[in-house]
Amino acid sequence: MTLTSARLPLEGVRVLDFCWAVAGPSVTRCLGDFGAEVIKVESTARLDHGRMLPPVIRTGGAEVGALFVNNNCDKLGVTLNMAHPTARDIARRLAAMSDVVINNFASDALERWGLGYDDLVKVKPDIITVSMPLMGTDGPRANYGGYGTGLQAMAGLHYLTGFPDDPPLASNIAYPDFGPNPMHTITAILAALHYRNRTGQGQHIELCQLESTVSFGAVPVLDYLANGVVEMRHGNRAETAAPHGAYRCRGDDRWCAIAVFTDAEWDKLTEVMGRPAWTRQQEFGSFPARKEHEDELDRLLEAWTVNRDADQTMMSLQQAGVAAGVVQSGKDITETDPQVRERGYFLRLKHPEVGEVVCEDVTIKLSASPGKVRRPGPGVGQDNEYVYRQLLQMSEEEINQCYVDGVFD
Amino acid sequence: MRQALDDIRVLDLADAMGGYCTKLLADLGADVVKIEKPEGDPMRREPPFLRSAPDGGTSLYWWYFNTNKRSVTLNLESADGRDMFLGLVKSADVLVETLPPAASIRLGVDYPTLRKVNSHLILTSITGFGLTGPYRDFRISDIVGQAMGGLMNITGLPHRPPCATGASQAYYMASMDGVVGTLLALCHRDATGQGQMVDVAMQGAVLKTVSASTVGYLVSRKVLKRTGLEYFRGVRDYFPCKDGYAMCSALGGSGADVMLDWMDSEGMAADLREERYAEVLAAMGSRRRMKKGFGKVAYVDPRRLGLYTHEIAHIQDVWAAWLKTHTREELFAGAQKRGVRLMPVYTAEDVAHEPQLIHRGFFTEVEHPELGAAFKCPGPPYRLAKTPCTMRRRPPLAGEHNLEIYQEEMGIPTRRLSWLKQRGVV
Repeated sequence: MTLTSARLPLEGVRVLDFCWAVAGPSVTRCLGDFGAEVIKVESTARLDHGRMLPPVIRTGGAEVGALFVNNNCDKLGVTLNMAHPTARDIARRLAAMSDVVINNFASDALERWGLGYDDLVKVKPDIITVSMPLMGTDGPRANYGGYGTGLQAMAGLHYLTGFPDDPPLASNIAYPDFGPNPMHTITAILAALHYRNRTGQGQHIELCQLESTVSFGAVPVLDYLANGVVEMRHGNRAETAAPHGAYRCRGDDRWCAIAVFTDAEWDKLTEVMGRPAWTRQQEFGSFPARKEHEDELDRLLEAWTVNRDADQTMMSLQQAGVAAGVVQSGKDITETDPQVRERGYFLRLKHPEVGEVVCEDVTIKLSASPGKVRRPGPGVGQDNEYVYRQLLQMSEEEINQCYVDGVFD
Repeated sequence: MRQALDDIRVLDLADAMGGYCTKLLADLGADVVKIEKPEGDPMRREPPFLRSAPDGGTSLYWWYFNTNKRSVTLNLESADGRDMFLGLVKSADVLVETLPPAASIRLGVDYPTLRKVNSHLILTSITGFGLTGPYRDFRISDIVGQAMGGLMNITGLPHRPPCATGASQAYYMASMDGVVGTLLALCHRDATGQGQMVDVAMQGAVLKTVSASTVGYLVSRKVLKRTGLEYFRGVRDYFPCKDGYAMCSALGGSGADVMLDWMDSEGMAADLREERYAEVLAAMGSRRRMKKGFGKVAYVDPRRLGLYTHEIAHIQDVWAAWLKTHTREELFAGAQKRGVRLMPVYTAEDVAHEPQLIHRGFFTEVEHPELGAAFKCPGPPYRLAKTPCTMRRRPPLAGEHNLEIYQEEMGIPTRRLSWLKQRGVV
């Protein structure tokens, strides 16, 4: 059924990328995986601090940040010190050859450098420009700075996460930087590319990271706006299911998530458990009854899971048709999960400085034009030669002068 | 005003896992036709409800995920229903479906079948684990996606059970991979005319958010654990303040020195200026040093911090006492002025009153005449200057567009349509 062509879906699209940290580079990584030529602009005066995020891969004398290498796959790396007027000129020339110009600075730096939409449309009429301000460029909190986990807190997601008696919580991985903010930005860029394909028109896209993150918790906000109801966190429970939660299994920090929505699923769960007497009690005979006695239900179910292996619990429940899944760690996912292996979510790439590195592979599988991860995140200025000499056709003399003047710092 | 996707028609056979995917397509201008079971889509029965009353089509969950869509009813279990479905597929650009793999084959909603009807079709399949692999037929729900995708394990307090992140994040991420995959295929079709199949797995979508845990493990061989109120550096990030909670990552990271100056200026630095705290505060990272070097000092080496357990506990006590004297707003504004990282923890109510969102007009007034209700609704996540997302229509009633689509667009005669209705096909 696959009609694989060699063509990648974004072939012919060039992206001039001023992104740094995590959320922005995640956007351009995806565009690169699917065929866009992404030119990542950095300066040795202000390197992408994403390069320093732990953990670090060390081989011999070289060291690189593993998350940077992963999050900047399929990009060309150039150095350009934007403090220098000549650098801004070169950036404008690159923009004139590009389809998308993107940044995720907190401030309007690109506009100040003369690289905003209104400037670039003069040199490239169908340009698509993208900015990802934290809060937007106007209003009482215009140009505020911040960070992913803080945004998650501000968007109300912490308040919806955790057990009722505990403080509000979040994961420790800056979720909005990997989830809503890059994914929404990619969506907007692809929609704008489609619009340009049929009308020849470019445009400016603004992703306000607060609005984007709030969208991932919009229903509780709507509940407040429409009803005045403030939804609180409820641990792992769900209004329409019982039992519903993570149940402790045998071993250190082993858990299995189980979700039972219907009476038929409850029946299957009790069958897997061998229909112990308690499951036949009236307190658990219907959904409303199970919901009413949920504390007791959770305690009894966990008394069953706690002596069982988490993987086996998942497998036996799944075979019976009950939604269940091991609460997997990074180790489980990368070492033992056969589904992850089969789908090929990780791959090894050759890195010029530190040898072999592991990166995430494409998760979205397109049958005719699949994405392809071709190379790990670039070294500082690794592709200056290609971009400045071949692409921009700068002369030897001009390039040397730029190095001397610190334009390529 | 034009919209980015106003030239495409999308058939929507998605449940809650894919609802956000088709919502985004509809809000970007696509003509999204929701295909509901004759008894109505199960999402219509999902809480919360308007006036907290669960009857009569008042689900706010349904509302949010179905703005700008049209609706037809159709029983795909009947042969007549499947015939009509193929008729719909003929004029569609995209079909988004979340059926389990076995059900999609049984109902003929699979790519080999549908591309015979429409070779330009983009078929986006969103499933829990993908269309291939040993877990492809697994039963799924949001919590299973968060568990198997690795997000849940690293969410929660260290000695408490792992916790799912609220508001169905695995469904959101599955939908995001769905919409991105669909639009990539659309860009490919713009260039080649070729349709294709897009295979999206909720597990794979969630995995993308936890590379620090997965790639991190492969590099360091250390398992990332739940760290509760400490997010990044092995020191606490998260404190109660005068009117709620604040995330104060500046305290233990880049800018601890700036925060100390701030506390000092209010006479709240206690004894933290004493020599015995100098080294540990430096190890936690200072903004001044960060400017000189780059980055590395912003992240504490836990081996170094382990030597200072008592000092850190005391430092955190001093911080906590000072934070209690300020509101979230004072702290947020003050931190911005000083360029350090501190953000407020908000409830849904706080979000609804957030001055920046209000200033930007993020909440738009919507009306539902049939329910006699008008209220404000959160707006789109992005702004496209020339092709803005707009609220063109409220979410549809079940089968509201049966006549419009079946009769006016597909030309099915009235008599045939009433016969199909009698047979429970529509």
